[in-house]
Amino acid sequence: MEEIFVPAVGMAMDNVVLLEWLKNPGDQVNVGDVIAIIETDKTTMDIAAETSGTLGAHRYALNAEVPAGQTITVVLAPGESE
Amino acid sequence: MTTDKTWGKKILRDMLLIRNFEETADKLTLRGKVPGGMHNSSGQEAVAVGVMSALDPKDVIATTHRSHHHTIAKGMPVDIVMAELFTKATGCSGGRGASMHLADVENGHFGGNGIVGAGVGIAMGAAMGIKQMGHKKVAVGFVGDGGMNTGRTWEAVNMAVIYKLPFILIVDNNQYAVETFVERVTGGNDIAKRGAGFGLPSYTIDGQDVEEVHRYTKEARERALAGEGPSFINALTYRYYGHNVGEKGQYRTQEEIADWRSHRDPIDRFSAKLISEGALSQGEYEEMIASVAKEIEAAVDFAEKSPLPDVSTILDGVDSGLLGVRK
Repeated sequence: MEEIFVPAVGMAMDNVVLLEWLKNPGDQVNVGDVIAIIETDKTTMDIAAETSGTLGAHRYALNAEVPAGQTITVVLAPGESE
Repeated sequence: MTTDKTWGKKILRDMLLIRNFEETADKLTLRGKVPGGMHNSSGQEAVAVGVMSALDPKDVIATTHRSHHHTIAKGMPVDIVMAELFTKATGCSGGRGASMHLADVENGHFGGNGIVGAGVGIAMGAAMGIKQMGHKKVAVGFVGDGGMNTGRTWEAVNMAVIYKLPFILIVDNNQYAVETFVERVTGGNDIAKRGAGFGLPSYTIDGQDVEEVHRYTKEARERALAGEGPSFINALTYRYYGHNVGEKGQYRTQEEIADWRSHRDPIDRFSAKLISEGALSQGEYEEMIASVAKEIEAAVDFAEKSPLPDVSTILDGVDSGLLGVRK
C-alpha cells in the first residue's frame, strides 16, 4: 500500500488546498498518474502515484485545507484493503 | 593497496549509516517532520568519512548548510542528530538549530551554518586559536563549490597561508551551487589552481574514493602539525538528490545522476573492494546493512518520542551570561 501524501517542500509550509481530485476511489492508477492537484502559498503542484494499483478513499474533500505531510489517499496493491 | 580489514569495515559502516540516515530523513522531511527543511548529502559520504577518519577526535571542524554527513562522521550519535532535525530538546543544539545548525563544540564540531563559505572562516579562526595556544591539533573548514566564488573564502585562505595556520580546507565539491553547474560560474574552471595561487599545497582529488580522501587529509594534517601551514583539497563528489528536500530539479539530466550512482558510488566501490580482497563477506555486508537500518530506526523513534524544548528555556543560550539574560 502506497500512501499518497502532501509533501512538505517549503521551508515553512503549513496548509495546502486540495484543488482537484483526478482519480476516484476504486480507479485503477499507474505509476506516474497524477492523483490530485494541490495549491500551496506559492504555486500549484501535482501529486502523483509511485506505484500501480487501485485508489482508496479520498480522505479530504475538494477545497479542503490539508496540513503538509498528511496522507490524502492510498494506492492499494491487489488483495490489499485500507 | 590492500585495505586493513577492521578499519575498512568501520569506514564502510560509517558511510552506510550516513546514507541510510539521509534517505530516511529525506522521507521524514517530506512528511513535515523536519521544520525548516533539510539538505540531503547522499552520494557525498566518502568526503565526510575519508576526512574524519584521518583526524583526531580533538581536531576541530566547521561545516556548511549540508552537514549531516560531516556531523555523523565526526562521531555524533545518529539519535542526537535526528532529534535536532526534529527540533527536539534532546538534539545537539537543544532543538533550536534544526538541520542547518548541528554543533558539538566540546567535541570539536564548531557547527554548520546557513552562510555560504562561512565554515572556512570559522575553522581558520579556530586554527589561529590552536596556533596561539600551542595545541597539537588542526582545524578543518568545509565549503561547497558555490563557496569558491565567495570573497570571504579566499580572505580566510590568505590569512591561513600568511600565518602558517594548522588549517585544512576541504571543498565538498558536489558540482552544483543550488541549481548552477560549477563550470558555468567558475572563471578558469580550476579550483585547485586558485588555491595554489595563494601559495599553499592544493589538490583536486576523487571524492568518491574514501581511501584517497583519507590519504590526502592525513598528509595535510601531518604537514599542519609539523608547522608547515595549511592545505587545500578539492574533492570531486556528487549529490544524488536535490539541493534541498522536495526540489523539482530540472537543471540536470536523470542520465547524469544515474551515471554517477551506477559507476562511481563511494559505498559500492568500497564494499566491492573489501569483498574482492576477502576483508568482507557478502553475508557480513548484508548484516552490516541490516544493523545500520536498525540503528536509524531507533534514532527516528528516539526523535519522535523526545519532547520539544520547554518554552521557559527560550532565553537560554541567548548570551554568555554577561548580560544577565540567561538564567
